[in-house]
Amino acid sequence: MTQRISTLSSLNSQISLMQRLQSSIDLTGRQIASGRRILTPADDPISSARAIELRESLSRVNQFGRNASVVMSRLSQEETALTATNDILQRIRVLALQANNSTLGNEARSQIGVELRANLNELVKLANGKDGNGAYMFAGTRENVQPVTQSGSVYAYNGDDGRRLIQIGEGRTVADGDPGSEVFFRIRNGNGTFVASADPANAGTGVVGSSSLIDASQYDRDTYTVTFTAPDTYEVRDSSAALVGSSTFAPGDTIAFRGIQFTMNGSPETGDSFTVEPSRFQDMFSMVDDLATAVAAGANDGPAQARMNNAINQGLNNLDQAIGSVLSARTQVGSRLAIIEDQENTNGANAVTFQETLARIEDLDYAEALSRLSQQTAVLEAAQKSFVRTQGLSLFNFL
Amino acid sequence: MGILNISMTGLAAFQRALDVTSHNIANANTEGYSRQITTLASRIGLTAGDGTVGAGVKVSQIKRSYDGLMMRQLQGATTGVGRLQILDEMTNRVNSLLADPNTGLNSSLQTFFGSVQDLTNDPSSVPTRQAMLGQADGLAARFRAVDDQMASLNSEVNERIRQAVAEINGLAQSISDVNTKIATAGPDADPNDLLDLRDQLVLRLSSLVAVQTIAQDDGTLNVFIGSGQGLIIGTTPQELTVVGNEFDSTEARIAIAGDGSLTPLENSLSGGTLGGLMEFRDRVLSPARESLGQTAIAFVQAFNTQHRSGMDLRGVLGGDFFDIKPPTILPSSRNSGSGTATATVNDIGALTGQDYVLTFDGSNYTVVDPRDNTAVAFSGTGTPADPFVFGGMSVEVGGAPAAGDRILVRSSRGTASTMQNLITDPQSVAMSAATRSRVDLNNLGNAAITPARTVDAADPALLTTATIEFLDATTYSINGAGSFAYTSGDPIVINGSEVVVTGLPDAGDRFIIEPNFGGTGDNANGLLLSDVQSVDLLDGGVVSINENYGRLVSEVGSTTNQVVAGLQASLAVQRNAEAEVLSVSGVNLDEEAARLVQLQQAYQASAQAISIAATLFDTLLGMTRR
Repeated sequence: MTQRISTLSSLNSQISLMQRLQSSIDLTGRQIASGRRILTPADDPISSARAIELRESLSRVNQFGRNASVVMSRLSQEETALTATNDILQRIRVLALQANNSTLGNEARSQIGVELRANLNELVKLANGKDGNGAYMFAGTRENVQPVTQSGSVYAYNGDDGRRLIQIGEGRTVADGDPGSEVFFRIRNGNGTFVASADPANAGTGVVGSSSLIDASQYDRDTYTVTFTAPDTYEVRDSSAALVGSSTFAPGDTIAFRGIQFTMNGSPETGDSFTVEPSRFQDMFSMVDDLATAVAAGANDGPAQARMNNAINQGLNNLDQAIGSVLSARTQVGSRLAIIEDQENTNGANAVTFQETLARIEDLDYAEALSRLSQQTAVLEAAQKSFVRTQGLSLFNFL
Repeated sequence: MGILNISMTGLAAFQRALDVTSHNIANANTEGYSRQITTLASRIGLTAGDGTVGAGVKVSQIKRSYDGLMMRQLQGATTGVGRLQILDEMTNRVNSLLADPNTGLNSSLQTFFGSVQDLTNDPSSVPTRQAMLGQADGLAARFRAVDDQMASLNSEVNERIRQAVAEINGLAQSISDVNTKIATAGPDADPNDLLDLRDQLVLRLSSLVAVQTIAQDDGTLNVFIGSGQGLIIGTTPQELTVVGNEFDSTEARIAIAGDGSLTPLENSLSGGTLGGLMEFRDRVLSPARESLGQTAIAFVQAFNTQHRSGMDLRGVLGGDFFDIKPPTILPSSRNSGSGTATATVNDIGALTGQDYVLTFDGSNYTVVDPRDNTAVAFSGTGTPADPFVFGGMSVEVGGAPAAGDRILVRSSRGTASTMQNLITDPQSVAMSAATRSRVDLNNLGNAAITPARTVDAADPALLTTATIEFLDATTYSINGAGSFAYTSGDPIVINGSEVVVTGLPDAGDRFIIEPNFGGTGDNANGLLLSDVQSVDLLDGGVVSINENYGRLVSEVGSTTNQVVAGLQASLAVQRNAEAEVLSVSGVNLDEEAARLVQLQQAYQASAQAISIAATLFDTLLGMTRR
């Protein structure tokens, strides 16, 4: 049974069909002109919401990229300053070794002392260095305060221990510098564990050589005194004057007790004493200052020569610790730079993924759109032709 | 005699039938016109001696080609389309507002937090601070603008509800007028065109609201809306009235007049433009505004709390960064007492964003969820010392309420439009931590200390310097007093600041916690401020501010999607129903042309019969003349 068709309904349905075709051709045309599949959020609400998320992730990744470049530039400035600091410390070390040579005259030594002071000033200048924005690099977060000030041979730190963290990825932050307190001030003197030093009143020529910790479990960080009861005998007492041990001595012997040891050259005299105490924090400037003072003091006789050698040896120990502190800061900077580079790779890969997904959601597939357009126009043409043909058909034409 | 009379009845009948056909042709393009059919019947003749000869033909009825069931289906489909069309239009506007990068909140949130990040890179830079304040202004303005636009959409919806109600009342009047005419014409009058007119009016009414119709014996049609309220009973229309919500007079609600009193039609009206408008307002727009307000409150509270924990460039603790209005209190217009309430948001994680109703029973208040009138659990007694706590708010009540009085507590809706940036001085942005920790340079041990973190910004001694001094490797004193056991890695809280000491301290080692004066390069608080964007604060601590807004956008988006799909489907249903109705009632011109030919031939034949009758007479008369 065929359905009855009313003239009005056939007209209406053909008109509304053509209207729908025209509106879809209009949409396709606008899509092609703009290159976007979604013209307004209403076109595809779900994808629009997803696009918002993607754009947000993308903008965060871009922000992380900007942050990373800020940190990179600050860290490379710090690295440059640390490298320069290391160079100066190495130079000081060479000078100190020269000065330690007993054949050197006092005049040559005082020359070295002058050179040491000049290097010390350079060190202070580096520690007070500013970055491109005029902020002190090594003042922690008190970036407007000159971190190192000198009063006589006392060097004070005026910054703080703060480290500025910068976000370079989701949940990933990295410090953009190191406070001067850690790089220049909190350096353990001596060999890093203990300091063996000679009593300035010693009459003999005993000089402390290399020292080391051999058994950490025995070392109790007490202060010990090594006293020579005879030129060839010494005893060791702890801070409460209890006897720890005693032994005979010949120049070049190693004195060992409670897990630590050091060598002793020269000839101590009866009553000479040496103190062994735990390392404490000292700043690198006063270390160099002490060294310069010792070198400048000169040596006119055996005991004075021994005093100077002791001071320079201790200064060299200190210098090694200072160099270690600078190197460890540089290593940290290097590893931070590596972290940033790694994170930048991740960020870059994420950005590409986000952008691709965004393009898939929002951008138009031209091949598909153009073939859709030609199909739609073909259908519309056919509908128009068929409209003209069918609407011309009427029985009244024949009455 | 017979042949003449019989032919005359034929001429008259075919004349009428031709009239009807040409009426059909004339109305071929009339919307809502039902094709009319002439039904012919033979006239019963008188029985003479030699049998019964018929008496010709008569028009027994001119009736509409009409199927009431199909018409009701079309009415139902029209109601569906009316609802979905308005929902489509309105949800699309909300969707575009929220999801468009130029009008939505997302881009402002992004640029604001981007400016906070930029400032963490260079916390002491005044131009960068100025830029961040500019973005803060922009963000507050965007929050206000989005809510303002939704509020004006809300006013528009209420206005359109009034218009729809006026239109419904007009149609009800017209339908009852037609009912009167039909009833007056009587049951056998076949008032086909009046019936068509009434169908058209009911169809227009259906596009405004869902109706049920029941035809009466006298030809009138009763129309019911909602859950069976009579809009038109016989020839009497009942007027619909727009009344304000008892708590919010601007919110249009509908009541129907009858027996001198107004009966509220709260949620029983559905479908059509009117149902769609109310559904949009109550199910899409209001929840969207609630969610936006919830996001705004959470953002402001979290950002302010963090900002108060920091220190600004001058060494002063940060103040509130943004201002936002507390929840709105709306007492019912029906209250006879004078009960009042004040509410504050005190728990972002429990904040729902929805409305609550406090109901006074004469001695106590109860809390009800107005959407489904279920009781809400709460604690407290409503006094300042022990406020009611529910939905993330604490509510204090006062005044003299009477039994039955109700107060609406609107937790979040509309608050976003009150957001303001309070800070204008770039120096006042608190990017630094309030306090810092320091290792004494004379320490012998290798213990380290973490940067100080503010855990209680309200501690009056926050900016007092404190010293942790180790008495030995396992105990320490604070400011020279007390003896506390030390465990490496355990947090130590002093004066509202928290630090963690790790490693092996020596006796006499000291760690200092001091105000972060001069720490202008510090960005510790700035980092925490920028975390506000992504920290899970809402919904019991599982949803971030960003996610909450994203959820709003995608909820409105998926509603829009459903509405669009539903609209396409219901338009198709409507087209089908329309085609069904037209297949029965519509005029086909070819059919009518054929009918014309048929009737013309019948008319000519009857006329021919008359001329034969004349010839017969002539024959008879000729005979007598001769």
